Amino acid sequence: MALAILIVEDDGELAENLSREMSGLGHQCRVAANGQQALAAIASETFDAVVMDRMLPGMNGITLIEQLRAAHVNMPILMLSALGRSSQKVEGLEAGADDYVVKPVDAAELHARLTALVRARGWSADEGDTIRAGDIIVSPTRHRAWRDGTALELASTEFKLLTELVRHNDTVLTRQMLLERVWNYDFEPATNIVDAYVGRLRKKLMAHGGSDPIATVRGVGYTLR
Amino acid sequence: MKRALAGLTLRGLTAIYLALFLMATVVTGLATYSATIRTIRNLVDQRLSHVSESLAPDGGRLDRQRLIAQIDALSRQRDTGDLGIALFDEEGRWIGGNVRLSRRVPMGFSGVSVADKIEGLSKGRALARRLGDGTVLVAIAETEPFDNYDLERQRIYLIGFGSIILIVVGGTSLFSRVVHRRITRIHSAADAIFDGDMSYRVPVSGSKGAFDRQGIAFNRMLDRINELMEGIRGVSDDIAHDLRTPLARLRGRLAALSQKAGDGELVVEIDEAIAQCDEILALFAAILRIAEVEGGSRRAAFERFDLSAVAQDIVATMAPIAEESGHELESGIDAPVLVEGDRQLLSQVMFNLIENALRHTAQGTRVRVGLMASGAQAILTVQDNGAGVPPDERDTALRRFGRLDGSRNSSGHGLGLPLVAAIARLHGGGLELGDAEPGLIAKIWLPLA
Repeated sequence: MALAILIVEDDGELAENLSREMSGLGHQCRVAANGQQALAAIASETFDAVVMDRMLPGMNGITLIEQLRAAHVNMPILMLSALGRSSQKVEGLEAGADDYVVKPVDAAELHARLTALVRARGWSADEGDTIRAGDIIVSPTRHRAWRDGTALELASTEFKLLTELVRHNDTVLTRQMLLERVWNYDFEPATNIVDAYVGRLRKKLMAHGGSDPIATVRGVGYTLR
Repeated sequence: MKRALAGLTLRGLTAIYLALFLMATVVTGLATYSATIRTIRNLVDQRLSHVSESLAPDGGRLDRQRLIAQIDALSRQRDTGDLGIALFDEEGRWIGGNVRLSRRVPMGFSGVSVADKIEGLSKGRALARRLGDGTVLVAIAETEPFDNYDLERQRIYLIGFGSIILIVVGGTSLFSRVVHRRITRIHSAADAIFDGDMSYRVPVSGSKGAFDRQGIAFNRMLDRINELMEGIRGVSDDIAHDLRTPLARLRGRLAALSQKAGDGELVVEIDEAIAQCDEILALFAAILRIAEVEGGSRRAAFERFDLSAVAQDIVATMAPIAEESGHELESGIDAPVLVEGDRQLLSQVMFNLIENALRHTAQGTRVRVGLMASGAQAILTVQDNGAGVPPDERDTALRRFGRLDGSRNSSGHGLGLPLVAAIARLHGGGLELGDAEPGLIAKIWLPLA
């Protein structure tokens, strides 16, 4: 999925690097160095998503988001910051950011998160009782999942993991994203619990035959084929 | 002397002061008492000699009958009603006067008491003079103006000096309590700072007294320390930012390379390089996490929750991982155990302790996670039956980057336990390593909500 992305970042070198790397992944990028430039760009062009530094000269990222949201600009905004304290994350999310990533962030992580955000915007409220990806069907309300018509016996964490993967079908979910969404942790345990649980989930998904539906993107994360 | 004084506690100093004061008071009391008695005795003695002289002047002519008449006349006067006078002949026989004596009193001044059975007299003085013709004139006067005068005098001293002692002792204890309370304020400020609440300050009343000035000086010192710490934290944030960004970019490139390399031999090496990047990033994350915890800012987001539910989740999450590494993960978790704290940080504590136990013990080792409420505290334990850690190495394990000889070659950055200890302190608790006989037991205690 190629996205039109606005990068609001005052550090020229970092902005250029991000822009180049994101373009390398097939996105179109435009850079704004401050809040004014960002507002002007949004007024003249359409973007699929915004990557915004929290600390900008003049108008800071929080104020900028609040202005955009007040003006009913609803595109997904991912806030980028060197400040990793949880209260600051909450502040960013409360101002209207859709996701908050602590620097440093590499292009693959950013790509995964932005794609997930844009996809999430495409969901309609009537997600309905079930969501599906290929031959896998998940019912979040009933806490049940099936592969190829056969019910799966999943523990609650495995079920949450599968739901996340199915919901973001075709997008790469990084380990950090899965830790946040499935386990609700804002830290990475030294033990790779994501890998361990993906392994268990794979076994259960293949218990009644079929190929491995979960692809490993080395060094990045996982995606459903 | 200075050194001896400096070594004394405030309590000790007060005790010495009070002891000296009591001694001085008692000495003054006794001295006043005896001076009063001596003065009264002298006055009575003077009066006796005056009366005795006026009845029978030295060297004067003596007429016994007249003397007896004079004595009788004197006895009848109202202002001499308390005087006893007796006259004895050469053989000591009573020949006149208004009192009789049960014994011979010695010549000159002497004391008489109740034992002498003189009517109406409890304590007094006597003056016996031998007159020219061999008769003896004895004059007796009371030193006690009324019965139990001595007792009364003691009571007066007791009330007088007693009230002084009470005032001083009461004043001293009030004073020391005031001093103690003000010192306690500074003490609790220091404790709060130690617990990580860097925003705590000593309450200042605005009276501009010595204690207030001390409180203000203490607060200014804390402000300064805070500034310096903020500075250091800023520097460490900057370093983390400056180093983590290129590292993350490097990691991103390696990840892209790994994907391009397909399934060749190179992939293994690239993945190892990625793993090393991850270790360095984890080290930075731990450094920043400790700085964040010690800054105390997460205290603002404390909430009341059941730690046992979190512990059960984590044990359930770690159970398959422990199984894979050949360990047995057991739990003995009481429910509910309500605490006031940061769910994320306390989850990280449990992960770190369980991961430590799994990483540093051999296959087949049993790891047990325990949680219980004991008194006003929540006690979390992670215990293994492995080889354990010798007592002298446990402190090393708690120090930053303090890695034990046996674990130098294994993964881990040596910040796991210091982070656990910092989180426990943030919650007003602590971490302790002990001997599980056999094995190691890590114990965390936190106040219950």
